[in-house]
Amino acid sequence: MSQGIVLFIEQRDGVLNRTSFEAMVAAQGIASATGETLTAVVLGKSVAAVASEVASKKLQAVYTAEDDRLAEYTPDGYAAASKQVVEKLDPRFVILSHTYQVRDYAPKLAAMLGRTFVTDCVGFRAEGSEVVFTRQIFQGKINTDVRVVGAPPILASFQAGSYRADKAEAAEAPAPITPIEINISDIQIRTQAEAKFQEAKQAVDLSQAPLIVAVGRGIKSQENIEIVQKLAEAMGAEIAASRPICDNEWLPMDRQIGSSGQTVSPKLYLAVGISGAIQHVVGMKNSQTIVAINKDAEAPIFDIADYGIVGDLFEIVPALTAEILKAKSEG
Amino acid sequence: MSIERDTLEMDVLLVGAGPANLACAIQLSKLISAHNERSKESGSKPLDEVNIAVIEKASEIGAHQLSGAVLDPISLRELIPDFEKHGAPLEAPVGEEHVYFLSKSGKIPLPILPPPLRNHGNYVVSLNKLTRWLGEKCEEAGVNIFPEFPGAEMLYEGDTVVGVRTGDKGIDKTGKPKSNFEPGVDITAKVTVLGEGVRGSLTKQMIERLKLDRESDPQVYSVGIKELWEMPDDRFAPGSVIHTMGWPLDSRTFGGSWVYGMRDRIIDIGLAVGLDYRDPKIDPHHEFQRFKTHPLISDLLKGGKLVRYGAKAMPVGGWFTMPQLTSDGVMIIGDSAGMLNGERLKGIHTAIKAGMLAAEVILNALVKKEFTRKTLSEFDLKLKSSYIGRELYKSRNFHQAFDRGRMFGLMIEGISIITGGRLPSRLPIKAGHEHMQKLTSEAGADRYAGLKYDDQLTFDKLTDVYYSSTHHDEDQPAHLKVVDMNICIDRCVTEYGNPCQNFCPANVYEMVDGGEGKRRLQINFSNCVHCKTCDIMDPYQIINWVPPEGGGGPNYRKM
Repeated sequence: MSQGIVLFIEQRDGVLNRTSFEAMVAAQGIASATGETLTAVVLGKSVAAVASEVASKKLQAVYTAEDDRLAEYTPDGYAAASKQVVEKLDPRFVILSHTYQVRDYAPKLAAMLGRTFVTDCVGFRAEGSEVVFTRQIFQGKINTDVRVVGAPPILASFQAGSYRADKAEAAEAPAPITPIEINISDIQIRTQAEAKFQEAKQAVDLSQAPLIVAVGRGIKSQENIEIVQKLAEAMGAEIAASRPICDNEWLPMDRQIGSSGQTVSPKLYLAVGISGAIQHVVGMKNSQTIVAINKDAEAPIFDIADYGIVGDLFEIVPALTAEILKAKSEG
Repeated sequence: MSIERDTLEMDVLLVGAGPANLACAIQLSKLISAHNERSKESGSKPLDEVNIAVIEKASEIGAHQLSGAVLDPISLRELIPDFEKHGAPLEAPVGEEHVYFLSKSGKIPLPILPPPLRNHGNYVVSLNKLTRWLGEKCEEAGVNIFPEFPGAEMLYEGDTVVGVRTGDKGIDKTGKPKSNFEPGVDITAKVTVLGEGVRGSLTKQMIERLKLDRESDPQVYSVGIKELWEMPDDRFAPGSVIHTMGWPLDSRTFGGSWVYGMRDRIIDIGLAVGLDYRDPKIDPHHEFQRFKTHPLISDLLKGGKLVRYGAKAMPVGGWFTMPQLTSDGVMIIGDSAGMLNGERLKGIHTAIKAGMLAAEVILNALVKKEFTRKTLSEFDLKLKSSYIGRELYKSRNFHQAFDRGRMFGLMIEGISIITGGRLPSRLPIKAGHEHMQKLTSEAGADRYAGLKYDDQLTFDKLTDVYYSSTHHDEDQPAHLKVVDMNICIDRCVTEYGNPCQNFCPANVYEMVDGGEGKRRLQINFSNCVHCKTCDIMDPYQIINWVPPEGGGGPNYRKM
């Protein structure tokens, strides 16, 4: 008879996906509510480190299913391997985190098993030994309860953020790690992964930058951004901007500081041609040292600046860049 | 690409969670329970379960609600008889009242309070708090409330309204779906009630399509600019009320101010400016800033701190400008239908009453299972014969009189008060934007030359906008649709001087250098406080306000 809970852990290149711990919190909860035992499964190749990290949590056992063909993710390989694991362990519940990978292969797995898959759950509730899953519909406006009446195993995936990874209960002693044998052949895997690529450039995290040079409307045109860029390079600083610059797409939106952009508190914030509208100021007022260059002595940026230069940025910025480069080459 | 949409089947769909629709939902729930009780006693068949849904574009109920406000409790008393005991958020009963006529530095108290401005027995309230509370009452009654659901378009079968399609989520600024894209939902209903507030975007579409305004005068509007100030002491008691006329507005500009005392040492201060002014250089925000420099106000606010800002248009045309209120499958209520009483500066009690009357008609329709105009038009009659109708009828010529300037307005107002609104003939009126005059060749003096922003008493627009806590996802298409931007550059520059930069109280419209010696209109839509002034006052009527992605907009508190 089917019993127990199997939690699939997601990893890539030996690095654990943290949402697996979030799903683990749900799985541990289901285990304690229903009295079922919880085991975790790690698929892939060279996953020992991930398995031992998982084994430190409160569960009955950790299984590893390793194969060269699982080194790179393919939907065919993962579905086939998972199916064999599920058939061997014969659980009542299969729990997954609702990642892109799971969205890709888990529906296939469910179809191959001929079982129900409750996707993107945000919670659950035990009624006796039954489990009722909660998922959202209509753009997240309505929660529905889902009760599965079909045969086990019941597959369920949990939405990222529904549970907190740091709430996963740790074990007193590590759980045993056991390899589990799977048999997949090249024939089963119909796709071959191309080299990984990322379409969207990594978003810039300006909050970590110690030095920021920010440019505002005073720069007048896109061509002039270059002089500020040179200054930032000379200083080893990140370049940032106030809203009009990003609106004009002179710099990408992820460089925007202020109420509709990022909030930063670097050691040094050099504001070039920024008047200091409150919307910008709230994003940088906690910087340790603020230096402002602006031709308007009345500009509100000077109210919060520790140092201010009233003057033409087109004269000051190149001169400043030259001085910094000179000091560096001498230093 | 064809998009698969969810469909949500409701019986009654209310668009916009303001006082009108929330009152309608509460009243309808009550009437249905009472009906079913009666059926049980008489052995007749009760109504099947009635699903009522309210959709709202704001991130939470009340977040887009802004009003003066002094509440005449007459209709709230009918809706929730002991509202005080149920925790209705009232600031204070109206206490001391003054009306002044202002000159640049002087003030003349009116010897007697004009009857329409007498507020004894009324309450100073925050509409934003009151609405949130009404929302709670709705949820207690089992009404479904969906915030962050803007109505994008009406769903029709022929000319019968069958529901509303809500806005898509996750569209980037070029119009392409983002990774979080979710298509809007089709919410179908037997009756759709439009209580979207002033100049509702769906209401506008529908009135045009079904020609519901063929027998009414064009609606006219004012825009209210408002700030909340936190004071260091109790100098202005909760419930204190001041209204002013005159300065800083010129005699051809309709409007006036209010100063209300709220709880917790908050002063609520605002200026309404008629959106039928002549001079395209008029800037309601700047007029309000000037107003605060009058000794009456600057003395009052000394030592205080600005805490909130907001703006909202209001319909002031009244009786003759109300459209046909019903059509097949649909009703229009509240500010969307122009039910505000411009003479008394009050629209909350009329909205609540309208919602309650609509509920009666909807119940009747549900019982008869008949949702065409034949059944629903009972609402037109009920509204007009109710005390709301009588009140609106009495003040039917109010704004129309001011259409010809302040002196004529005041004179006619005096006569109207004596005659109960009767005048020898009905006064003509035209849409507000048609009053705007073209720039003359000789450049007049800069109206606002003397206005300085000291960040103590007076604030520039951008700073004020910050105090409205407005937020929109920046990566979405602008929700201010300008039909033809060439008009801005080729004609408007010389004809009106791009007045969008002036009438918008939130710095949304900005003429910037477009290169090659030309200017270009930049739309900072993420500043938009959803006041609708641009849609109303644009002299070419080429700005179309549509709701942005759900949840965007101001985040009003205590407003």
